[in-house]
Amino acid sequence: MPRIGVFVCQCGNNIEATVDTQKVADETKKLPGVVHTESYKFMCSSPGQDSFKKAIKDNKLDGVVVSACSPHMHEKTFRRAAEAAGLNQFQCEITNVREQCSWVHHDETRKIGTDKTMDLTRMTIQRLKKNRDLTKITIPVTKRALVIGGGIAGIQAALDIADGGQEVVIVEKEPSIGGNMARLSETFPTMDCSQCILTPKMVEAELHDKISLYTYSEVEKVDGYIGNFSVTIKKKAKFVDESTCTGCGECWEKCPFKADSEFELGLSKRKVIYTPFPQAVPNIPVIDKTRCPKILKDKCGLCAKVCGPQSIDFTQEDQLVTEEFGAIVVATGYELMPNKDFGEYGYGKITDVISGMQFERLASASGPTGGAIRRPSDNTEPKNVVFIQCAGSRDEKRGVSYCSKICCMYTAKHTMLYRHKVHDGQAYVFYMDIRSGGKRYEEFVRGAIEHDGAMYLRGRVSRVYEKDGKVIIQGADTLSGSQVEIEADMVVLATALVSRPGADTVAQTLGIGYDKYKFYNEYHPKLKPVETVTAGIFLAGTCVGPMDIPESVSQGSATASKVLALFSSDKMAREPITAEVNKQTCNACWDCVTSCPYVAIEKEEIKDRKGNVVNMLAHVNDGLCQGCGVCVCACRSKAIDLNGYTDEQVYAAIATF
Amino acid sequence: MPEEAKIETEGVFEPKIMAFVCNWCTYAGADLAGTSRMEYRPNVRIIKLPCTGRIDPLFIMKAFENGADGVLVSGCHPGDCHYTTGNYHARRRWTAFKDLLAFTGIDLKRVQFSWVSASEAIKWVELINNVTDDMEALGPFMKFKEMNKKGPNQG
Amino acid sequence: MENELREKAKELLESGEVAVVIGYGFNRKKTRITPVFITKPEETDKLVFNELCVNNLSIYLTRKYRDIQKIGRPAIVAKGCDIKNIVVLITEGQTKREDIHILGVTCSGVVYKQELFKGELKPEIMPSKCHNCDVRNPHVADTVIGEKSDFTPPEEPTGMVFDKIKEIDAMSDSARWDFWNEHFNRCIKCYACRQLCSLCYCERCITEKNMPQWIETSAHPRGNLAWNLIRAMHLAGRCTFCGECERGCPVNIPLNLVNQKLVLTVKNAFGFESGIDENVHPPMIVFSEDDNENFIK
Repeated sequence: MPRIGVFVCQCGNNIEATVDTQKVADETKKLPGVVHTESYKFMCSSPGQDSFKKAIKDNKLDGVVVSACSPHMHEKTFRRAAEAAGLNQFQCEITNVREQCSWVHHDETRKIGTDKTMDLTRMTIQRLKKNRDLTKITIPVTKRALVIGGGIAGIQAALDIADGGQEVVIVEKEPSIGGNMARLSETFPTMDCSQCILTPKMVEAELHDKISLYTYSEVEKVDGYIGNFSVTIKKKAKFVDESTCTGCGECWEKCPFKADSEFELGLSKRKVIYTPFPQAVPNIPVIDKTRCPKILKDKCGLCAKVCGPQSIDFTQEDQLVTEEFGAIVVATGYELMPNKDFGEYGYGKITDVISGMQFERLASASGPTGGAIRRPSDNTEPKNVVFIQCAGSRDEKRGVSYCSKICCMYTAKHTMLYRHKVHDGQAYVFYMDIRSGGKRYEEFVRGAIEHDGAMYLRGRVSRVYEKDGKVIIQGADTLSGSQVEIEADMVVLATALVSRPGADTVAQTLGIGYDKYKFYNEYHPKLKPVETVTAGIFLAGTCVGPMDIPESVSQGSATASKVLALFSSDKMAREPITAEVNKQTCNACWDCVTSCPYVAIEKEEIKDRKGNVVNMLAHVNDGLCQGCGVCVCACRSKAIDLNGYTDEQVYAAIATF
Repeated sequence: MPEEAKIETEGVFEPKIMAFVCNWCTYAGADLAGTSRMEYRPNVRIIKLPCTGRIDPLFIMKAFENGADGVLVSGCHPGDCHYTTGNYHARRRWTAFKDLLAFTGIDLKRVQFSWVSASEAIKWVELINNVTDDMEALGPFMKFKEMNKKGPNQG
Repeated sequence: MENELREKAKELLESGEVAVVIGYGFNRKKTRITPVFITKPEETDKLVFNELCVNNLSIYLTRKYRDIQKIGRPAIVAKGCDIKNIVVLITEGQTKREDIHILGVTCSGVVYKQELFKGELKPEIMPSKCHNCDVRNPHVADTVIGEKSDFTPPEEPTGMVFDKIKEIDAMSDSARWDFWNEHFNRCIKCYACRQLCSLCYCERCITEKNMPQWIETSAHPRGNLAWNLIRAMHLAGRCTFCGECERGCPVNIPLNLVNQKLVLTVKNAFGFESGIDENVHPPMIVFSEDDNENFIK
C-alpha cells in the first residue's frame, strides 16, 4: 500500500478565497493510500517546506502531492525539497489548483473551487501511484568544440571558448579564415578598416594553443548527440604540405597560370596556386586542382621547382578525419544574392553595374585597384555613381521577402567612401525606406547625406541601360512625385543577403531546422536565439539571418558562453523525461524512428553470445531524446513509453475522472 | 473508484469535460488565464502531456468510457511546437480519428480540437466556455452512458 | 497459368533460390482452397490458382508465423492486392524485398467467400476490391505469371462497400451510432480480424497490454467499440482494403466499411494510397506542414 502525503496550499488567500483547503485535506485523507494530509498558508515558504520535509520523514511517505500553484512555478521547489527529505524527486507531483482553479472560478461559496480541487487532487494522487522512481540522466561531455565557419562570428566563438580554456577546432571551407568580413573595406558606423580590426583576431585564432584551424575543409557527417558528437571532416587536398610551407610566396609569384579571383569577386585574377588574399590565415597556398596543368595533364610543375622547403606535393588526396566533440557552433555565414537574379538592373550585362561587395573591394586599400574607385569597364574614375538599395530584398516576387538589414548602412558607408575618394563625385541612392536602427547608425546615415552630400531619392528604379559609355537609370522620386533619369558612370546594387548554397545540406547533416530561405532556425527566436532544437548545437551570425558585424560577434560570444557552460562539468545531467523501449514487444517496424523529431531512436543490433546479429530493435538515445512522446503514439503495440508521462500515469488520471 | 465526482447535483446537468493539453502552449495559456484572474466555467479537468504528439486516440476513447461528456484536445499552433513537429503529427492523427468517430456516429462537438498558445489566455477562456455551452446544449453523452449500463455480450 | 506457376515454383525450389513456396492448394476433398507450403520440387503440382484463391497469403511473411520463416527464403504466390500488403510489410521493416521471391499472379477477380462460389464467378459474389482493382497485373513482383489483364477500374470506386459508406455518411449521428452499435455489439472478441490481417503483426497487440488495459477484453459493447475503432486507427494509412478481416469475422461485422472509410480519409487528406511504393512512409508517422486543419479551432 502506498504511503502518500497530500499538501494543500492556501497561498495566503489566493487559493483559500475560493477553495476550502482544510476540507480538501480532510476529504483526501479518506482516500486509500493517503496517510497524511495538511493545509498550509504558504507551502513554498521556508516553514512550509520544512513542514513538508518533516511530514515526509515522520510519516515515511513514498509519494507526495502538492496542490498549489502551477507546476511551472514551484514544481522544482517541491521536488528539490522532496529529494532533500530522502524521496525520489519524481515521486512528487503538483496539482495546479491556483492558476487553473482558484483564480479562474470566482465562486464565493467556495463550493465549485473546493469540488474541483478535490477532483484534480484525486487525479494527481492516482497518477502518482503509478509513478516510478526516476534518476536524472548523466551524459559524459567531451570538452572540445567544433566551430563550423571561420568568419567573424566563428572566430569570435572560437576565441572565447579557447580563452575559457577549452579546445576548439575551426572548420573553414575556404583556404583562409576571415569570411566575408575580410572583403570589406571599412565598417560602419565607425569607419574602422575591416582588415585592421579583423586580421589581429585571425592571427590570434591561428596562434592560440587551444585552437586548431582546419581550412579548406568541410563537415561531411555528424553522429552522436550533445556532449558526444562524432564528426567526420573532409580536408580537401591543398597539394601543399602545411607543416613545412613557410608561406614565402615564391610559388604563386612564379605560377604562370591565372584564374578569376573568388575573393575579389571576379574583379581581378589570382594564380592557380594561391592564397585568397595577402593576409590569409593560415598563410599557406592551395593549388586549384581544376586548373593546374600539372595535376590535370602532368605539365608545368614550376611551383614545386621553386619551392625552397619542397612543400609542394601533387599526389596529395582529400583526407577524411573523424573527431569527437562535445558541442558544435554553426557559423556558416551568408552570401549575396547571385548576380543573375538582377537582369532588370543590368547586372551581368552591363559591366559597370556591380554589387555592393564588389564596391567594397574597389574601396579596399588591398583590393584590385589599391583602394582607388575605378569602374570595371574602362578603369576610369566614375563621377556619378548610383546606388540602388533593396536589390532583391523586400521583394517577394523576384527576390526575398525579408529586409537584408545591413544594406541601408553599408550603402550610406559606400557613398561616404566614394566621396572621400572622389571629391567631385556625386552619389545617388535609390531607397524604399532607410532603416538605421542601431547605436550611432542614424547619425551615420545623416552624415552621409548632410556632410558627404549623397543624394537620396525615395523610389524604385524602373530601368537601367547603357548608352554612350554611360549607364542610364530611370526611376521614380516618390517624394517629389517626379520621374528622374540619371546618367551614371557606375551603378552599385545593394543585393540581398542570402543563405549559402548548400545551407540546407549542412542543416540536414547536423539535424537542425531551417526556414524557406534556408536560414537556420533558432530554438526560440527571442529567448534562445543561439540554440537549436538539437541540444549541443549552437548558431552564430548570418547563417541565422541577416545581421551586422556587432550582432554576429555578440552571437559568437553568446555561443561560446553556452559551450563553456556545457563544458563546465565532466558530466551533464538531464531530466529523465525520455522514451524507453520495451524490447520484448518491439515490432521493429521503425515507425518510432521515422516519426521522432530528434533522430533520437536508433536501430539497435541484438546479438547472440557468439556476436551474431539476431535481431534489430528500436533503442532510444537518452542524449538525443527530448521527451515529446510522438513515438509512443506512433507505436501500435505500445512497446515504447515515455517516462514521466507513461501510459499508466495518464490512464490513472483519466480513470479517476 | 472512491467518491464518484458529484458534479451532477440538484438535477442540473453539469457536463464533464476532459482536456488533454500540451505542457508548453495550452497549459501555459491556461495558467495565464489564471494569473490574469479571468473567469471561466469550472467543468474542465486538464491532463497535461508534454506535447500534443503524445495524445493518443486511446486517451479520448478512455475519457468517453469514463463518463466524459466532451473531450478537448489542445496544443501549440503549427510552427510553435516546443518539439518542432509534434503537433503536426498530432494533427494527422486527429484528422483520421475525427473522421472515424463521426463515421461511428459520435457528434464531433464532443471532441474538439484547438490551438491555444501560451499567450492566448482569452482564447482559452472562450474555448472552455464555448465547449461547456456546447456540451450543455447536447446534454449528457448518453450514447456512452447507456452502453456502460449494458452487460457483456453473451456471444 | 497453373502449369507456368508450378514450373516456376519447381525451378525456384530446385535451384535452391527459395526454401518454401507459399501458395494456394486444394484441401483434401478438393472443395476448398487452402494455403499450402511447398518445400519439395516434386510437390509443386499441388499449387493452384483460381477464382477461389481469396486468401491473402502475405500474413505468412509476418512475425506471427516464425515457424514458416525458419524454413528459409520464401517464394509467395500473390495477387496484386496481396502484394500491396507485402509492400507495406517491406516499408515497415517486417521483411526485406530481397528476402522474398514474389510470384505475382495476374488476376481477374476472386470470390468474396469461397462458399458463395457455385461454379461461376459472378460480379455479385466478388468483393468490392475486385471491382475497383488497379493491380490485376502485379505491380511489384519477381516473376509475373498469367496473361496480362487489360481491366481498367472505374474512375469513381463502385460496389457495395462504397455505396454503404455513402449511405452511412448520409445518416444522422444517432442512426450511425445505432448501426455500428448493433454490429459491434455482436463482437465476441475472438480477434479473428486481427489474426487474419497481415498488418496486425504486433508482437503484443494493444488489447493484450494490461498495464494499463486501454481496451477492455470482455465482449462488452464498450470494449468492443474501443477495440474496433482503435484497430481501425492502427490500420489508418496502412490498410490495403484486402478484406480479410471482414471475411474472417464469424459474426459478420462489416469491417470493410470502417477500414475503407479511413482509406478514403487518408487518400483525401494526405493523398496517400498504401501498398504502392515500399519507399514511401505510411502517412500517419509523417506529416506535411500544409495538412488541412479546418477542423481545429
